[in-house]
Amino acid sequence: MRGPPVKTPAAFCVPYPARVVALLSLKDITKVYPNGTRALGGITLDINKGEFVVLIGLSGSGKSTLLRCINRLVEPTTGTVVFDGIDVTAATGAELRRIRRRIGMIFQQFNLVRTSSVFANVLSGRLGYRSTWRTLSFRPTRGDVEQAFDNLGRVGIIEKAYSRADALSGGQQQRVGIARALMQRPDLMLADEPVASLDPATSHSVMKYLEEINKRDGITVICSLHFLSLARRYGTRVVALKGGVVAFDGGPAEIDERRFREIYGEDAVEVEIGPERSRPQPPPGNEAALRMLAEEADAMLPPGSER
Amino acid sequence: MAEYFTARGLPVPVELRRTPLTDWRRWTALGITLLTLYVGFRIIAIDTSRSNPAYAFGVVAKLVQWDFSILSPQNEFETFWDTAGGLMIVTIFLGIVATAIATAIALPLAFLGARNIMTGNPVTAAIYAVVRVVFTIIRSIDVLIVVIVFAILFQLGSAAGVFGLAFHNIGVLGKLYSEAIEGIDPGPPEAITATGANRLQVILTAVLPQIFNPFVSFTIYRLDANVRLAPIIGFVGGGGIGQILFQTINLLQYQKAGLIIFLIVVTVAVMDFGSAQIRKRLG
Repeated sequence: MRGPPVKTPAAFCVPYPARVVALLSLKDITKVYPNGTRALGGITLDINKGEFVVLIGLSGSGKSTLLRCINRLVEPTTGTVVFDGIDVTAATGAELRRIRRRIGMIFQQFNLVRTSSVFANVLSGRLGYRSTWRTLSFRPTRGDVEQAFDNLGRVGIIEKAYSRADALSGGQQQRVGIARALMQRPDLMLADEPVASLDPATSHSVMKYLEEINKRDGITVICSLHFLSLARRYGTRVVALKGGVVAFDGGPAEIDERRFREIYGEDAVEVEIGPERSRPQPPPGNEAALRMLAEEADAMLPPGSER
Repeated sequence: MAEYFTARGLPVPVELRRTPLTDWRRWTALGITLLTLYVGFRIIAIDTSRSNPAYAFGVVAKLVQWDFSILSPQNEFETFWDTAGGLMIVTIFLGIVATAIATAIALPLAFLGARNIMTGNPVTAAIYAVVRVVFTIIRSIDVLIVVIVFAILFQLGSAAGVFGLAFHNIGVLGKLYSEAIEGIDPGPPEAITATGANRLQVILTAVLPQIFNPFVSFTIYRLDANVRLAPIIGFVGGGGIGQILFQTINLLQYQKAGLIIFLIVVTVAVMDFGSAQIRKRLG
C-alpha cells in the first residue's frame, strides 16, 4: 500500500519553481504483483519536457509496468510519480482522470474497439474532457468532431474514417491509436511497444509519427522498444531496465557492445531492423506488390504534405 | 518399440508403457461402469409386463385423426383466444414476454456479476460474488418447479407461467451475459481508461460495443428456448396451450391432443430455424 493519504500541495513538491523542472518525476517506484512477482525494484527517473525517451530491456524487465505506473493503470506498490508538479500517486477519482487526460498512451495491440468505426475510436480520446451525459447521448461536440478529422488527417488515414477499426492493417490501426491519444492534447505520450506487432517498414512509419509529434508539438514521449536500432534512430535518451531497475540511462550513442551485453545478457547479439530506405524492391511487373509498396510509401509521407 | 528408448538410456514414454489391455485404470473404469449399470437396473426394477401395445397403437391412431373442432369457438362463451390457434399465439407471446422481463432484469445485474468489471475494491468484489451465487441458485431450480411455486402465488394461469419462466431465465441469461462481459478483450477498456474517462464512459464506449452481438445472440437463443418451454409449463398451471393439451389428454381426447401437439411441433421448428439463422448471422 502507498503511504498515508495526505495530499501534498503542488507547491511543496517543487521547491524551486523558477528552475527547469522535470515534466515527470519518478521516485523509488516499486511494484510487487499480488502473486509475488517483483516487477519494479525502485525506479527513480526525471524526464524533462520535450525528451524522446526510449525504454529498452528484455521482455519481463518491467517496461510495461513502469509505463502503466505513470498513469496508474497499474498501481505502484511504493514510490511517487509527480507529473507537472502534481502528485499522481496521491490523486484519486476526478483528479486522477484530469491527470490521465494529459497523458496519451498507445499500445502494442493498439487496443482499439474493433467493432466500432475508426472515427468513433478517435473521438473516444476526448472522453476525459466530456461529461458522462454527453457520452450517453452519443452526441460529440462540433469541436471534437473537427479535431478528430484533423488528427486522422495528421496520421494520413482520413479516408478510412468510417471503416470498422478491425478492417485496417496493423500499421493503420496503430496510427488510429496515435490519433486517439492526440485527441487528449497530451503533454506526455506513453508508447508501450508500439511497433512490436508491426513489420519493419510499418514500424518506421509509426515511429516517424511519434517523432513528429515530439518535435513539432513538443509532446514528451516515453516509448518502450525491442530494437536497439530503432532506439538509436528515434530516441534522444535511452533508459534500459534490467530486472526492474535502471541498468543504463544516457544518450543513444553511448550504448556500445559492452553496455549492450550488460543490458541484454552475455549471449545477446544485436539484431538490426532495416533502415527505412533499404526496403525490398518488388520484382518487375508484379503489380500487386508495386501497389502495396506505393501505398506504404504514401503512408510514410510526412503528415500535412500533399498526397 | 520401447527398446528404442531403453537402448539410448531414455525414459520410455508413458504411451508406450501402457497398452489398453495392461492399463489397470482402464479395467477399473470399465468395472465401475458395469457395476453402476447393474445396480441401476436392479434398483429401478424395469417392469414391462403390464404394457399394452394394442391400446397404445389405438391411441397413436387417434393422435393422427385430428379433431379440428378445437380450432374454432365451440359455444357462445368462447372467443378465438380460447381456441387452440389462439392459445398457441398466447403461448408464443408468453415466451416472448418472459424473455423480455428476464432480459431487462438480467442485463444490469450481469455487469454486477462480471469479475473484470467488479474487481478493484472489496465492496464490489463482494457484490460480484453474491450476484453470481444468486444466478447459480436461480438457475439450479428447474423451471417447472418455479412455475408450480408461482402458481401457488398467482393461482393457475399465465401470470404464473410468465413470471416463473422469467425468474428462471434471469439466472440463465445473467450467467451468459456475465460470461460474455468477462470474455471481452481487456485492451480497449484499458486504453479508454488511460484517456481519463470515468468508469461509466469506459463501459459505454469500450465494453458495450464488444458485448452487443453476444448479448443479442444469447437473448435470441433463450427466446427460442422459452417458446419451446412455454407449452410445457401449461401442464403445471402456467397457462397457454399446455393447459388445454393437459386437459385433452386427461379427458382421453387424443384426436384433439394430436392436433395440439402438431401445432406445438410446427411452432418450435419454425422458432428453432429462425433463431439459428439469426444467430449464425451475428457470428
